[in-house]
Amino acid sequence: MSTYLHEHITVGRKHVNRRRFLQRISATAIAAGTLNFREMLPVQAEELRQQGKSMILLWMAGGPSQFETFDPKPNHENGGGTKVISTAIPGVQIASEWKETAKVMHEIALIRSLNNKEGAHQRATYQMHTGYIPSGSVKHPAFGSCVAQQLANAEHELPSVVSIGQTQGAGFLGVDYEPFVVNNPGTMPANVAANKPQARFNRRLGLLDQLEDEFAGRGAQSAVTNHRQLYGKASRLSQSPTTKAFDISEESATLKAAYGDTQFGRGCLLARRLVESGVTFIEVRSNGWDTHTNVFEEVTNKANEVDPASATLITDLKTRGLLDNTIVVWAGEFGRTPKVNARGGRDHYPRAFNCWLAGGGIKGGQVIGETSKDGSIIEDRPVSVADLLQSISKSLNINPSKENISPQGRPMKVVDGGEVIEDLFA
Amino acid sequence: MRTLFAICLILSSGSILVAGPAELEIASQVDAKLTELFAAENVTPAGLASDEDFLRRVSLDLAGVVPSPGEVTLFGLNPDPNKRSKKIDELLASEAYGKIWGSYWKDVVFIAATEQRTRLVEPGFEAWLVDEFNANRPWDEITRELITATGRVDEEGRTGLIFAHTGQPEELAAEISRIFMGIQMSCANCHDHPTDSWKREQFHGLAAFLPRVSVRREDPGMPNSFAVRSAEFNGRRGRGDLDPEQLFQFMDRNRDGKLNKSEAQGPLKDRFDQILTVADQDKDKQISKDEFAVIRAMMDNQQPGRGEEEYHMPDLNNPASKGELMQPVFFVEEAKGPKLKEGADDMTRRHALVDYITAKSNPWFAMAFVNRVWSEMLGQGFYMPIDDMGPERTAMFEEVLGILAEGFRDNDYNVKWLYRTIANTEAYQRTMQTESSDSITPFAAASPMRMRSDQIYNAYKQVLGIEDSFSNRGAYGMQNNMLRGRRGDAGRIAFATLFSYDPSMPQEDIIGNIPQALFMMNSPQLEGLVNGNADTKLGRILNKYEDDTDAISELYLLVLARSPSNKEVEIAQQYIKQVNNRSEAFEDLMWSLLNSTEFLSKR
Repeated sequence: MSTYLHEHITVGRKHVNRRRFLQRISATAIAAGTLNFREMLPVQAEELRQQGKSMILLWMAGGPSQFETFDPKPNHENGGGTKVISTAIPGVQIASEWKETAKVMHEIALIRSLNNKEGAHQRATYQMHTGYIPSGSVKHPAFGSCVAQQLANAEHELPSVVSIGQTQGAGFLGVDYEPFVVNNPGTMPANVAANKPQARFNRRLGLLDQLEDEFAGRGAQSAVTNHRQLYGKASRLSQSPTTKAFDISEESATLKAAYGDTQFGRGCLLARRLVESGVTFIEVRSNGWDTHTNVFEEVTNKANEVDPASATLITDLKTRGLLDNTIVVWAGEFGRTPKVNARGGRDHYPRAFNCWLAGGGIKGGQVIGETSKDGSIIEDRPVSVADLLQSISKSLNINPSKENISPQGRPMKVVDGGEVIEDLFA
Repeated sequence: MRTLFAICLILSSGSILVAGPAELEIASQVDAKLTELFAAENVTPAGLASDEDFLRRVSLDLAGVVPSPGEVTLFGLNPDPNKRSKKIDELLASEAYGKIWGSYWKDVVFIAATEQRTRLVEPGFEAWLVDEFNANRPWDEITRELITATGRVDEEGRTGLIFAHTGQPEELAAEISRIFMGIQMSCANCHDHPTDSWKREQFHGLAAFLPRVSVRREDPGMPNSFAVRSAEFNGRRGRGDLDPEQLFQFMDRNRDGKLNKSEAQGPLKDRFDQILTVADQDKDKQISKDEFAVIRAMMDNQQPGRGEEEYHMPDLNNPASKGELMQPVFFVEEAKGPKLKEGADDMTRRHALVDYITAKSNPWFAMAFVNRVWSEMLGQGFYMPIDDMGPERTAMFEEVLGILAEGFRDNDYNVKWLYRTIANTEAYQRTMQTESSDSITPFAAASPMRMRSDQIYNAYKQVLGIEDSFSNRGAYGMQNNMLRGRRGDAGRIAFATLFSYDPSMPQEDIIGNIPQALFMMNSPQLEGLVNGNADTKLGRILNKYEDDTDAISELYLLVLARSPSNKEVEIAQQYIKQVNNRSEAFEDLMWSLLNSTEFLSKR
């Protein structure tokens, strides 16, 4: 009979799946608890996990205009009359709506020369999140899931990837790294809290566990074992004091006001609480950046939410000593066209746009790259999506060349190509 | 009441599979071949499943539902030796059959979608598939409809596959090959396939059947006015191959080095003003040679799927160039199909592609469908993964797959014939076997399978007595405005965002996730429906059966469609005693059954 098993492995997708792998090693060893799967992980991986590194992605969904954010062109008609202000970096100006961000520019490395080819929302969003262009045959894991795969502590009760708003999933990396989506930051996410008092909840779990034996005995041992693991994890989360991290009510009124009483402000405050609680990757989404009409008014509205929240996030992390180990990245899927269109808006423009990074060992107070006077082309130090992801990998001290095996058996690097932007690191 | 259950048990354990009518000839051949192969390996297959297990399994497979307690009892008591075959026919004749398999195929196609707006057409695409399956349209005809579809995506459900990839030839070629032939060609997009013998030219020869497919928004004001059309080129051949400079010269009739609106042609003419706002750098309302080069580059790079005259294989060393002109050539040598003339129009190409794919001389077409359906029903395909069959792979029990694929082909790809045949095999109707440390030979015993989202959703509705749908609010993480006010069951779609998985994934990789577990454990909505003191299914059972043992049995029948074992009755009784509050104890019991592995599994 072992021939069938052997065949299954060679015929299958080249990756030896965990269950069969364990069966082959020795089912009895597992049963006796003498072989722990985690023990087989390389020691290096364990060291990585202990560094406590995290990442917060501030995602401007829709494609933020570089001209109305951090690459204004006040002396060119393409600038559209957007006013500028000085920042904590001498000689560097940004759009005037970003007053709080201007004050923390000494922590920020601004990249004005990001460029890409994808000009459609979903393709560009997919690519910025995964590093790969979409393909029907494989669901690439989001970069955040890859980060969690290398850094997150499996014993941790909170999910390792949290997204405040919908996002890309873990793709073929599977459920362990699937983002846990929070739609209303500040309130407990749906179904996390148990309905019944703890004693009764535990009593139920005990009964469930007893009853599961019957099905296991009838031939569903593996399915029951998986289910038990899952329920163990879910019920620990449900009862864990760490879920308090989701509740922002105990934060001071002053701090809450500084972040802003907005979806994005509460999201950023929650992100900081989750970093404190050991969550590896958090994405905070801001929607409404697809400004095909009235770009000036629209971005002003968005800035009123995003500017205080993101600047406060940086100072709050800094005050708590978390900024050195937490990289904060502000980005969207592409930029906007240099020319203002007939509706006072700007359309999609992937050829030159901007983003910024702070914390996690990034040298703040600098600008990387430069666009032409009219903003249409990059004149200095073009940065690709892969370069950006390589640099973030360096900040997090993860291995960007680690190959994950796709379901078709194809090895795929966490980041394919690109190189670290060395200037980002002191 | 207890005696009744006892009778059921005796009857079901004594059931024998009676050979069906002549049309089930292939089912017997399958079993004979398996018996022979098992004997050679010295494997003793498991016996037939009990009536209870068979009924739940076949109801889930062929209709996506669980049997009611009444159905379970009646089926057990029915002495007809042909009752299993009859049940199979009854389920195949029900509307629920098309619903569950239409939804399955919608997932197969849409889970791989590279176009996110496919959500707009999901209900329409699924409704079309449901009708096709219920009308028992042969699989080759469904295939033809999907590949040759044209029309508005919000009106023609059959456009779903093409819209799922916005008409892009390379994505479509990869998906058509995967879905209809079980062959993964996408690796050959960039290089010769590393493990299979497919060459890069073969992949791009397949894509060359599809360059003239066009997917465009027809009404700029309407977000879902996308339509799949055939791009027409009216014999103005060769112009697509001109480089920007030549093309510019061609259009610039007054030779002033500028294109004005009256000189522009084709797509440039159609959208001249719009293009001006983006590309007219010097604001002279005309397009200069340099501006034109930028426009061409933008159109080439960003508009695949908008209908090109011919297909070009990208030059990997020079990605900016146009690449090599490819003629449509079908890569499976033995498949016979029409010879295409150069410059054939879109429909000629698409129909030719379908002719090759569905040709009886193309073995992959029947094998891919059989392998998939068998895997969905028995938990494992002959080839795994099911959509990666070769050619450099070996199947388990290849001869068995051969018998079924041949039968399917000889029955003109009659879909219900295949379901009927598989469901009538002993292989399908086996019982589970206690797992030993060694692995179980495939198909020698049943293996439990994780239910699909629709099956779980239907089971919840039936078991909890929900007539309509779950409300949108309760399901985890659902905040999708697009769902409101659309056709289809909004609750079911919301449920699917939490519970659906890629149906092409191997069963053993499908193990559930935390948000699902949290929903099942803690959803206030579900909790309200297991209230023992309210007018719920549980409340009614507790009122009707004063005897705890009877109530326990009823509850098991309701939730798991079977009677409890003695051990289970004992555990439950002890629990009730310990809790010392009847309704509370039963609430906990029902909660436990609803949260059990078995409730979520097809056994």
